[in-house]
Amino acid sequence: MSSTVGIELEEQYHDVEQQREAAKLGMWTFLLTELLLFSGLFVTALVLRVMHPDSVTAVALHLKFWIGATNTAILIVSSFIMSVAIELSRLGRQRPMAWCMLGTAAFGVLFLMLKGYEYYRDYVEHMTPFLSFRRYELVGDPASRLFTNLYFITTGLHAVHLIIGITLMLVMAWLASREGFLQKHQNRIEITGLYWHFIDLIWMIVFPTLYLLNR
Amino acid sequence: MSPELRQHLRTPVLTLFALLALLGVNVLLGIFFIGGHAWIAEGFVAATMVAIVIMFAMEAVKDAPITRLFAAIGFVWVLILFGLTMVDYVTR
Repeated sequence: MSSTVGIELEEQYHDVEQQREAAKLGMWTFLLTELLLFSGLFVTALVLRVMHPDSVTAVALHLKFWIGATNTAILIVSSFIMSVAIELSRLGRQRPMAWCMLGTAAFGVLFLMLKGYEYYRDYVEHMTPFLSFRRYELVGDPASRLFTNLYFITTGLHAVHLIIGITLMLVMAWLASREGFLQKHQNRIEITGLYWHFIDLIWMIVFPTLYLLNR
Repeated sequence: MSPELRQHLRTPVLTLFALLALLGVNVLLGIFFIGGHAWIAEGFVAATMVAIVIMFAMEAVKDAPITRLFAAIGFVWVLILFGLTMVDYVTR
């Protein structure tokens, strides 16, 4: 790691390495609670597939497979840019690092725009059973409502996490625009990166669970 | 690009290509193998992608043993959740 990079030691830690490890452990612990939150939704999808396979397949064939796949690629690229930002932070290259974080946020926004378009198509194609004033396309298949609603809850919850991630990226990029940020707070970039990679990881489970496995 | 930076970017670049290739495999499976038992292969590919993200993007391989233990235990909890739930539903 470059000599222009470091962490400001907090008084409760013995040394910088201990502080770094504690921050990582804390973030992993938080992310595991998030994993369990999403796992409840994933296991629900699996139960619906076992209980109502035909209804789940009918819904899955209405989902926009190509938008889901494109969004997966977008998040993979965004994760790569975040990894580049982390490596640049370790080398003390603050300005290009901040640009990479803005690039990561931009890919996150692109993901949300595609997701918004997908929701619009779902609306136009009457695949919104929770809207009582709209006709539902699969009205003769009551069990399909469960999976369609689960699709909106899961992707909506993921989108909320992505919005938080984008906000974190923008705040970190703004903080990193100040002189000497990496000399005191390099580990904040690593911790923010962990969160972003986790959002990517969750989508890598969402895509096959909703779009792929039930086709 | 400096040789130092190039060295630092080796793992992220390999991770990127590995993930995009595996996504490509899953997309092809989704297009050409609708129905049947393709879900087994698709699930395996997705699990491999998740493992790559954890090990190399989130750098679990470089973390302290206690952090790796936490990460592993989290997934054990998920397996318990899936295991206990599905034992009920598939044996009804």
